[in-house]
Amino acid sequence: MSEVLLQQLLNGLSVGFGYALIALGLTLAFGVLHIINFGHGEVVMLGALTVVLATQRLHLPYLAAVPLAMAVGALAGWLFDALAVSPLLRRTDGRTDILLTTFAVGVLVNQAVLSVWGPAPARVDGLAGRIDLAGVGLTAQRLFVIGASIAALALLDQLARRTRFGVEMRALAQSEHAARVVGIDVRSVGTRAFVLAAAVGGLGGALLAPIASYSPMLGQAVLIKAFVIVVLGGLGSAGGAVLCALGVGVAEALLGLAMEEGLAAMTVYSLMLVVLLVRPQGLAGGAR
Amino acid sequence: MSRTLRDVLLGVAAAALLAAALTSTYLLDVAAYAGVLAVFVLAVSVTFGQLGYVSFGHAAFLGLGAYTVGVLVTRYGWNYWACLPLGLLPGLLLGGLIGVVSARLSGAYFAIATLVVAEILVLLVMNWVDVTRGPMGLMVNAAPLPLPDWLGWNAQQGYLFVVGASLAVVFVLLRNLRDSATGRAWTAIREAPALAESLGVASARSRVLNVALSGAVASFAGGLLIPKVFVLSPSLLGVGYSATGILGVILGGKATLVGPMLGGMLFAVIPEWLRFLGDLNFAAFAVLLLVVVRVLPGGLVGWLAARPALARRLAARSARDWPAPAPVAPRTPRQATVLELAGASRHFKGLKAVQDVSFAVRAGEIVGLIGPNGAGKTTLLSMLSGFLPPSAGSIRGFGRDIAHQAPHRVARLGVVRSFQQTALCAGQTVAMNMAIASHMHRPAGLAGALLRTRAWRERERERMAHALGCLAEVGLLARRDELAANLPYGEQKLLGVAMALAAGPDVLLLDEPAAGLNHVEATRLAGVLSGLRDKGFTLVVVDHNLKMLMALVDRVVVLHHGVKIADGTPQAVARMPAVVDAYLGGAHAQQQDAAEVPA
Repeated sequence: MSEVLLQQLLNGLSVGFGYALIALGLTLAFGVLHIINFGHGEVVMLGALTVVLATQRLHLPYLAAVPLAMAVGALAGWLFDALAVSPLLRRTDGRTDILLTTFAVGVLVNQAVLSVWGPAPARVDGLAGRIDLAGVGLTAQRLFVIGASIAALALLDQLARRTRFGVEMRALAQSEHAARVVGIDVRSVGTRAFVLAAAVGGLGGALLAPIASYSPMLGQAVLIKAFVIVVLGGLGSAGGAVLCALGVGVAEALLGLAMEEGLAAMTVYSLMLVVLLVRPQGLAGGAR
Repeated sequence: MSRTLRDVLLGVAAAALLAAALTSTYLLDVAAYAGVLAVFVLAVSVTFGQLGYVSFGHAAFLGLGAYTVGVLVTRYGWNYWACLPLGLLPGLLLGGLIGVVSARLSGAYFAIATLVVAEILVLLVMNWVDVTRGPMGLMVNAAPLPLPDWLGWNAQQGYLFVVGASLAVVFVLLRNLRDSATGRAWTAIREAPALAESLGVASARSRVLNVALSGAVASFAGGLLIPKVFVLSPSLLGVGYSATGILGVILGGKATLVGPMLGGMLFAVIPEWLRFLGDLNFAAFAVLLLVVVRVLPGGLVGWLAARPALARRLAARSARDWPAPAPVAPRTPRQATVLELAGASRHFKGLKAVQDVSFAVRAGEIVGLIGPNGAGKTTLLSMLSGFLPPSAGSIRGFGRDIAHQAPHRVARLGVVRSFQQTALCAGQTVAMNMAIASHMHRPAGLAGALLRTRAWRERERERMAHALGCLAEVGLLARRDELAANLPYGEQKLLGVAMALAAGPDVLLLDEPAAGLNHVEATRLAGVLSGLRDKGFTLVVVDHNLKMLMALVDRVVVLHHGVKIADGTPQAVARMPAVVDAYLGGAHAQQQDAAEVPA
């Protein structure tokens, strides 16, 4: 029994790392630009789709498809920014309008994918092989998800701390006005942050595709999960998002042992409402 | 006959006429669907248009109402038409729950919470197969209304009549609500949340009420949808209907109620026109949404209303006959000491904005609160008005502890603040701003507002007389029909003072009311303020216009680096070396001394 538990714990952890990247993209856009990207799920879906197309049609190895998915995510982010974010940011109720425009562009992306590649789900073969330890096995793909996610998170952390762009981004997050006053090109930093957020989301999609399999409807499901995670962690908090993503991944896997998948998801989602009620700033966040 | 009754009867008659006139099954079907969607989109517009909160999950209410009525009919054999009004209840409860969970937070949380709740309900419906029959769908046979037999109508005509009549009732009630204190509070929360709190609007409660009402109407629409769809499936709760709700509001015009109603109707008709697009019509919706938000933010009705010919006619209609302004009544002091700070401090992480400040304000005096930039004046004012809880120390208003009270409670106690940056509902007229500000003046019940009873109208007239009296007090009565955003800066500040006054306080806390005013305007303001003192108001005024302030106030409290360095008559304080040093910038050592000068 404990082996099953341990197995599910590891499986949940690997999925959780994938969620972490997806949620990080969402919370990054919120932290820096104070906007919610309602099309973020479709960006993740594009990342997964890229891996499907690259491995099946172009016969690229999975490892080569992953950076490609990031690039496609970044490109989608740029498209979202140009159509749905930048032109509206300066309006008085622009942030409300952006909820709607990002949702609309998300629907367009989804419909475009549906009409070009159809509604069929697809399986992606990730890295082959598995490692067994004391009755508990971990596929190479799941190990890769964990490793790649940790590397990506560490890189992002360094980017935010050490680079000029990172500092500018953090300045913008604190106060747009002050950032502008000290001469930061807030529009350009905002766009780059948004594109970065989308690239991270695309990476998340590419990493999860072999574990969770691809479907064009993946975006919607992933978006809701990412929302639950970022609210649990406190909107705009990167550390909170990562921790809660791991928590949600593990909780889903463990609940999956006891109940049907739908009910497990329902339980996790309801948890978000409870947290909002008793600790609205999020589990990990301070006051924000 | 009252306007409410007249409009409801007109609507019901129109529904009857339409039902009698249409015979084509296809047209009856589309018309009934248009009516149901209009009710649903009106529900969405209550949160989105009135409160400014976007919901991505209003289909949750729609589906909940439909399934509740559906289950009552199929499982318990209740009559569909008798269950229909019960469809309101689950939406009311769920709306209240979502409101409590998320509406205290920003709109982003609300958008997320609604989406997640809708997803939870989809999962519930899919998995609770015993009751909902899950993905197979629940077939609901609604017996025809008995009415059609007498009139020679078929079942569809009877259905259309009920839909049309319901739409008329919902529309009129929502319109009445919008034009009442409740609706004005939503406007204030949408346009200037801090201002709303400062005027005594309990914003959290007001939001919860909004979401609950919206949920009730949406869930009623769900019950109403049953004869049209016949089979209830989980897709009722899906993103498709939620998107239709948002789109209908945006397309029609979110600032109005006519707009969402028309928008909802359009969404029954547009898909019929777009049939040739086949699977692409969801994409066409998305393009429409994007284009309308970017190009036509006011929606179709907003665009129409801005046409010159129509705009003139609307302006002529809205210039109402205002009641005569009631002069501001003098205050009789309830207590000798109105405000008392003892050792009040406020720290922001390492920064000690206010440190160990103690003083008292007596009834009927004007206290000037001065100090160099960054002295902590605004922080102190925010602490006095409930916007910032102190880190330490106590604050008492009229003998009661107000240190940790919400701003609207402090306002209700009679302590009302104004803001340094002009805080107004810029998109509303001056008169509307004053009406909003009179929120606490003789508050009326929800039922009276919904039905516009005679007593309610009487109160409303009296309220407007009070509000306009406050406007006259600052000399802006002639401006009442102008948009607040169009007033020059100085008059906007005066309007801010008038609004604080309309909240009916005994103590006014004014944050830099003279900032940015020219000499003439500042003199006028000083006249207004001393007039208020003569009427028995107590004032605490923060300002940098020392010339005006020193001539006006009875007493001055001086803050420097968050510490009180002086407290006394203007003449005495102006001679204190510590004060002179603080303003002229003495050496650092002297500042240290200054902090220790006893007040």
